[in-house]
Amino acid sequence: MVAISPDLPAVEVRRQTASGRMALLALALAVVALAAMPFWAKTGTIRMVLELCCYLAVAQMWNMLAGYAGLVSVGQQAFMGAAGYALFVLAQTFGVNPFLAIFLSLLVPAVLAVPCYLLLHRLDGPYFAIGTWVVAEVFRLVASNLSWVNAGAGMSLSVMKDYTGFQRNVAMSLLCALMVLVSIGGSYWFLRSRYGLALIAMRDNPVAAASQGVNVRRLRFMIYVAAAVGCGLVGAVYFMAQLRINPQAAFDPMWSNVAIFIVMVGGIASIEGVLIGTLIYFVADRWFGEYGASYFVVLGVMTVLVALYARGGIWGMISARWDAPWFPIRRHLILTGDKTP
Amino acid sequence: MQWFDALVQGVLLGGMYAQYALGMALMFGVMKIVNVSHGDLVILLSLIGISLASKLGLGPFAVMAALVPLAVGLGWLLQKAVLNRVVGEDPLPSLIATFGLSLALQNLMLQIWSANSRSLPGGGLESRSLAFGGIHIGLLPVIVLVFAVALTWGLDLLLRRTRFGRALRAAASDVEAAAMTGINPRAVYASATAIAVGILGFAAVFQSLRSTVAPSDGGAQLIYAFEAVIIGGMGSVWGAFIGSMVLGVTQAIGFRIDPGFGVLAGHLVFLLVLATRPQGLFGRA
Repeated sequence: MVAISPDLPAVEVRRQTASGRMALLALALAVVALAAMPFWAKTGTIRMVLELCCYLAVAQMWNMLAGYAGLVSVGQQAFMGAAGYALFVLAQTFGVNPFLAIFLSLLVPAVLAVPCYLLLHRLDGPYFAIGTWVVAEVFRLVASNLSWVNAGAGMSLSVMKDYTGFQRNVAMSLLCALMVLVSIGGSYWFLRSRYGLALIAMRDNPVAAASQGVNVRRLRFMIYVAAAVGCGLVGAVYFMAQLRINPQAAFDPMWSNVAIFIVMVGGIASIEGVLIGTLIYFVADRWFGEYGASYFVVLGVMTVLVALYARGGIWGMISARWDAPWFPIRRHLILTGDKTP
Repeated sequence: MQWFDALVQGVLLGGMYAQYALGMALMFGVMKIVNVSHGDLVILLSLIGISLASKLGLGPFAVMAALVPLAVGLGWLLQKAVLNRVVGEDPLPSLIATFGLSLALQNLMLQIWSANSRSLPGGGLESRSLAFGGIHIGLLPVIVLVFAVALTWGLDLLLRRTRFGRALRAAASDVEAAAMTGINPRAVYASATAIAVGILGFAAVFQSLRSTVAPSDGGAQLIYAFEAVIIGGMGSVWGAFIGSMVLGVTQAIGFRIDPGFGVLAGHLVFLLVLATRPQGLFGRA
């Protein structure tokens, strides 16, 4: 047996940085500002911010799936639509309070994600991605054929008429704050936990991680279900704000397009990248959205270029130059110098 | 009789799907990548074919003669410009690159050809039919099936019997070992994609003769090709062919039960195969 050297250098593990503390403060302020929107923003602004928060949350869910768990999905809209429909059925058909129904409706994606994953995880890498799309198509076709969700014609959430505009604004603002808190704050907390350490090990090399005792299968399963619930929350909130849902909109592959664009251009496997990507997409959408098809051609070409030449996206380029992460998840070992007796 | 008719129609429909599935099976077999823009390429070729036919007054087989070489060139270009840079262990880059390409292609087609559905005039070919003991079979679907069988047979022969086929299979099983024996993987990959997209040239003509095409249809074609490959089982081109038949028959029977159920029935059989026999009906476990 090798005796452990008695004079090991004294070290400490540094996990937070100055830039990280500033970013956390900014995140906290942003969440408070979002929650307080009814007191400083008009209804139109709140709706716009809500859309922004939806993009942010869906993109971050996709980032957790593709960037860390190695599960490339192009069918997260399945869970958005499922939760959206659950909300409409609970609130409109069964008369449940819509704000309570949002949270109840999250059970649907959570429950549906389990059999979906058990089926899909049998598919290899790229085939997994197309498989998720098939699942989303199945959900869409089922919704289009079910008469108790009014089939292809869709449903309206007329119970929202019982609430005043201000009440609705308060709800939307709190839900915006919740989405940001859950998607960004939740992911950050998760990545800093021991699961996060396992996840990063898995991202770098699944086989090596498994040999170190990481339960890769269980971790992937957890991420898949968590991302389904996260996307479900976005779906429920988005369609509550829309007041209408139909199969075409509920299971729109556009959400996958947007999430992939945001994460790839912003920078995959980083929370910072998702924030940057969301801002770029949102500004581009406001400025160039009117150009319709040609605008999407540019988005598509940009995605191709990033995949070919700059896998790390914009944040990858920034972090290669300046080491100032906003959400540091690395652990630095610092020599503290003088030895403890 | 009604169900026998559905079975026949399903097999004929399967002939169409086989022409999408062959290329996908080939590309995945050789490079372990899925080209998400597979369906959009069919649509792009169809729309080019329709424009050629109306501008130059070409018949369907003249269009095919023009389209297949064009498709081969397109596949080669796709491999050289995009796919060669993203082939590798990690499935993410190739998926993202072809996904972006799909988005760009779809919207580019929307710009050029607008969202309208179009079809290729077949000069009466599309409406002729043969009668077999009370069942009317369209001549065109039979031609499609014959082409599908011929393409599958030809591709299988190419892979098993020729020098090029051996190089392809060697690169598929171990790219580094193949490279050591003097095979240039990049060249093999470029030929594989050229063949895969070239087959789509045939598919494009038949698709636009059989029904209409619109720029947004590509996603559905991609999904059908994918389902056929998984149902049949990876590993052989005949697997993809049989998978296409199963998918076609299921959809045809589903459509007879309820028009809203046809495509869904195909998806459900795909999920059923995935649940009970993930290696596919004919795949080796």
